[in-house]
Amino acid sequence: MTIHLSIMLWLPAAAGALALFLPARLARWTWLLGTLLVLAYSVVLLFDYDRAAGGLQFVTDELWIPSLGIHYALAISGLNLVLLATTALAFTVAAAWYLWDDSVERPGLFALLMGLAQTAVMGAFMAQDLALFVVFFDLMLVPFYFLVVIWGGPERREAVLKLFIYTLVGSLLMLVGAIVTGVLAADGGAPSFLLSDLADFPLASGTQAWVFLAFALAFLIKMPLFPFQGWMPDGYRQMPIGVLAVFTAILSKVAAYGFLQVAIPLFPDAAVRFQETLMILAVASIIYGSAMAFTVTNARLILGYSSLAQLGFIVLGIFALDTRGADGALLQMVTHALVTVPLILIVALLARRAKGSEDIRDMGGLAFRAPAFAAVFLVLTLALLAMPGSANFVGEFMILLGVFETKMALAIIASIGVAMAAVYALRLYITTMLNRQGPDTDSKEMTAREALVIVPVMLVLIALSLVPQFALRPAQDGTRESLAAAREVLANDGSVAESRVEARR
Amino acid sequence: MSVATSAWLVLALPLAGTLVIALGGKYWHPRAAAIIGTLAIAIAFAFAVVTLINLQGLPEEERVVTSSLWDLVNVGGLTVQLGIYVDPLSTFMALVVTGVSTLIHLYSAGYMKTDKGYVRYFAYLNFFVFSMLLLVLAGNMVLLIVGWAFVGAASYMLISFWYRRTTATAAGIKAFVINVVGDIGLVLGTLFLFKTIGALDYGALFENVQVDFEKNSPELVIAMILILVGAFAKSAQVPLHTWLPDAMEGPTPVSSLIHAATMVTAGVYLIGRLYPLFEWAPTAADTGAVIGAITLLVAGTIGLVVTDIKKVIAYSTMSQIGYMIMAVSAAAYVGGFFHLMTHAFFKALLFMAAGSLIGAMGGEQSLDKMSGWRKALPFTFRCMLIGGLALAAFPLFSGFFSKDFLLYEIAERGGLYWILYAVGYIGAIFTVFYTFRIIFRAGWGEPCEQAKALEDGHQWHAPEPFNPANGEVEDTDVGFPGPHHNYAEESTSMKVPMAILAVLAVIAGVVQLPYEITHVLGSFLEPTFADSAIKHSADYGLETFGLVLSVAISVIFIPIAWMIWVKKPGTSARIQQRFKALYELFSHKWYFDELINALIVRPMAWMGRWFKNTFERVVVDGLFVGGPTSLVKASSAAVRSLQTGLLRSYAGLLILGVVAALLYFLIRAA
Amino acid sequence: MAISWYLLVSAAMFGLGAIGVMVRRNPLVILLCLELMLNAGNLALIGFARMWGNGDGQIFAIIVMVVAACEVAIGLGIIVALYRRRLPVDVDELKELHG
Repeated sequence: MTIHLSIMLWLPAAAGALALFLPARLARWTWLLGTLLVLAYSVVLLFDYDRAAGGLQFVTDELWIPSLGIHYALAISGLNLVLLATTALAFTVAAAWYLWDDSVERPGLFALLMGLAQTAVMGAFMAQDLALFVVFFDLMLVPFYFLVVIWGGPERREAVLKLFIYTLVGSLLMLVGAIVTGVLAADGGAPSFLLSDLADFPLASGTQAWVFLAFALAFLIKMPLFPFQGWMPDGYRQMPIGVLAVFTAILSKVAAYGFLQVAIPLFPDAAVRFQETLMILAVASIIYGSAMAFTVTNARLILGYSSLAQLGFIVLGIFALDTRGADGALLQMVTHALVTVPLILIVALLARRAKGSEDIRDMGGLAFRAPAFAAVFLVLTLALLAMPGSANFVGEFMILLGVFETKMALAIIASIGVAMAAVYALRLYITTMLNRQGPDTDSKEMTAREALVIVPVMLVLIALSLVPQFALRPAQDGTRESLAAAREVLANDGSVAESRVEARR
Repeated sequence: MSVATSAWLVLALPLAGTLVIALGGKYWHPRAAAIIGTLAIAIAFAFAVVTLINLQGLPEEERVVTSSLWDLVNVGGLTVQLGIYVDPLSTFMALVVTGVSTLIHLYSAGYMKTDKGYVRYFAYLNFFVFSMLLLVLAGNMVLLIVGWAFVGAASYMLISFWYRRTTATAAGIKAFVINVVGDIGLVLGTLFLFKTIGALDYGALFENVQVDFEKNSPELVIAMILILVGAFAKSAQVPLHTWLPDAMEGPTPVSSLIHAATMVTAGVYLIGRLYPLFEWAPTAADTGAVIGAITLLVAGTIGLVVTDIKKVIAYSTMSQIGYMIMAVSAAAYVGGFFHLMTHAFFKALLFMAAGSLIGAMGGEQSLDKMSGWRKALPFTFRCMLIGGLALAAFPLFSGFFSKDFLLYEIAERGGLYWILYAVGYIGAIFTVFYTFRIIFRAGWGEPCEQAKALEDGHQWHAPEPFNPANGEVEDTDVGFPGPHHNYAEESTSMKVPMAILAVLAVIAGVVQLPYEITHVLGSFLEPTFADSAIKHSADYGLETFGLVLSVAISVIFIPIAWMIWVKKPGTSARIQQRFKALYELFSHKWYFDELINALIVRPMAWMGRWFKNTFERVVVDGLFVGGPTSLVKASSAAVRSLQTGLLRSYAGLLILGVVAALLYFLIRAA
Repeated sequence: MAISWYLLVSAAMFGLGAIGVMVRRNPLVILLCLELMLNAGNLALIGFARMWGNGDGQIFAIIVMVVAACEVAIGLGIIVALYRRRLPVDVDELKELHG
């Protein structure tokens, strides 16, 4: 089974490379075909993964750079199983979206860059080696840089500069942190960057603290979480819409996944030490993001700030350091991706019906001749505000449950965000779809092509709402393992556990 | 058929109806949608009856049936199943909900006939009933919350049904957000319970509450008060009631559905459902009772002064729900649910009659413009009179028996509960006034323009359709009831349900007559409330006292109302002049809207603006982004200025560099 | 003869060439001066080769000559191209690549 993951990993990039040499029409189809194959692959994985056994499966482990102990190690675990499927779905939707969008020139190059992005994202999810993770994590930025610079909006240069420099600052810090971790863990011996090896030899508590901060900063900027969202408004406005859908839905999740996969298991003492700081940031994110989301008028930014709030919930769940909270966070990552992708594309649909404007004040009454469009939009809106009955609610409920066990006050403040979510989500829906029609709008029903891109994702979301356990079951083992060390530290009142001190010696 | 199967079918049919109507969309002939929608609910009602019969066939102590389909969540000690909990209480609720809803569907088929959103309307309506049934039949707290939120969403869709009216969309979002506040209360309360008890199923909660909590322990009280917040939001209790009058923006049958059978009764059901927890936390239960009492007074007083006919009935609902909340919180369960049932009948009837009247008025809802309808709309008017008499607890009507039984059960607990008893009878006086204010003002007096037209045999139409809430001229493409309004006299499908409800409003009291003449409802609900610590014993003297009081109120105050609104029409204006301050308070609805605006809405909006205009710009963009980017930019500018493009200077620098390196090595060597 | 004389001549040639590169503006002259510098290097290499008595330095010098020939070919080509496009034949004017 070892070859499997490498094929899946490099397939999108390969399809993109092939598309580069094909004529425009064929290039789009090649790209779609590539993403569809990966999707099929991930669905097979979903059912092939032995849920009862758990742990790492379909392992690929080759020594890549022997002198540095860097492995090309890929595996499927309870943590990344569902996230990989979500990634595959999101990229397939993006590919399908651009099948009929002729505004994109040089589709071959576009496909290559998006394929590279998909490979990088999946690589970061699959990597079981710290250095490999860092490589893929930083690689993600490169294709997006070009995607924005070549196909972005009119003010793309300023936006991309902010995005690139700001996230690079985080990435470089993470690189330094990774090197330090590897070198110190080797302790003069032969280094190894395998995550499992690193977890066995924890760093001293003091070192952990600042290395953890380096990683945390990289992740927080990438998400982004309050107050590191400075790159977001410009970046969101300038990105091509299909790219934005993937960016919001998936890239932020890589960062959140990084906490569970890397930062908490490797630096458990520091994770406990900064637990409260991160939880407070998360709650601030929820309140701030929600308040911004019901103030701004650009439809993309409303979704952007709502993501800020939702990521607040995810981080809150992770840093409750309670397995149920983390399970909820993982479910929330999936459902948030599933709800963001179609909603961002809906912004494009709205703009098509409002003479290209993305400002909600220019819209209104669009539901008039578009009942199906209105229905789909409403279902997604309700999922966005995490209405009970949606899988998003199950995620939020479990997050709150996890937080409630330890930090009751934070859970109560965070729940204010739930009410605020209702306000901004409905505001978006009502001002665009209901009331009197805006002067420059044209109420048109969703075309078959638009429906073909958006509706399947909605159906997946509904199916997941009926059986959230499908995503939670594998997550359970993954989160238990990734939080084990930190929970041991917690149980020991924040001091390093005896067994770990032994290991250190 | 087992109890569980039929109960699942009760739940499945409205859902199937929703899906079939919604997915068929524009392909359905409007009539077909109405037939499917009505049939789905009617069959669900039939299955509810089957459930009832089967349940009665079981021995009394086994009358709790649980059944689950699959696990929604099963991780880390948290198990949530897609399961139902069927016992006499939930069966009773399911019967009321499906029964009254069937009639409302039938009525809607006539009332909404000319509306362009006919198919959409029935999809929503079926979804509403499904949500309410989910709430009622849910087997655990999470599923209850799901049903709870679905009801909120369904009410939102129906309130905003005429979505081109800005007033309707504003009312919709208000209802939704207040309901979400309630949901949050419910969620937090549930989390409190889960933290200690570690389970979410009703059965486990009821069994363990006395083991895991001290009686009236602070945690339990907080948990139950949070759950009460959920009940208050849904049942429109002070101070979370402000959405209810605004919800009158929806079509009138929707108001009837929200107010009679579904939605607002959810809070009553919730408190009854969780009675073992509330009885173990008496402080919380008493809070509920007091809020119920306050609500019934506040709503009663506002009902005296508002002029929109639907809003008067809305405030009356709020007031009557106040009675029920007060009753179930004070452990007067049978009384509370008895009143819930009779109220469902007569309130649905009143709304239907009001709808018919509004139709005949050409969409006008203001009482100020209505008069003299007695002769023009004989059927509607009789129905309204019957509904009004039941509401005002006129002797021998259903409301008379239920309200008295409710207050009698409260009084039996003695002590401070006597205050609630007194408040109940004071509220009853308000009830008489606001009820007969509608009937006398609309029915008696000189017939208004519209009534005269109808007496001459043709229906009056506004020259231009308008929104009754703000007078705005309607967007005639879609989004208002259509140019033609329907009224009961011309539509059989409106008449039939009204007639059935009129009969029920008169006779429904027989299920629980005083002096234990009949005790049908009490003994049916007995298994559910068997574990209640508060036992009711028969006290005929107390019962007689209540009945006499009730009769006295009717006999004294109905003639006074007659004097005020029919005999001497100027009286009410004089009273307004006399008690100006009170009138101002009531007509501004006790300033609750203004209070919530000042305390929550405006600070939130201000916070959002401050974040956007100040914080985001200065701190986030300036400090966090500006810091790193300007650092990079400054250093790159410095390096860039060395790139002069002058070949000779490059050469010079190169040579200088080489010389410097050479010198370094020379010095080191020396 | 001592190695120092060779080195002295080589250093003088190198210095002259370097000064020429820095003070002249005509690319043709600069190219000539560069040749001077290269040949200064060659002289030093050959001098050292003789001192150590092996052929390594001479081989280096030959390689440098080959490289110099290539460089002249490209350099003259560029100058001709400049001339054909009627651009100023003056390195101070040719500074479009500044930052």
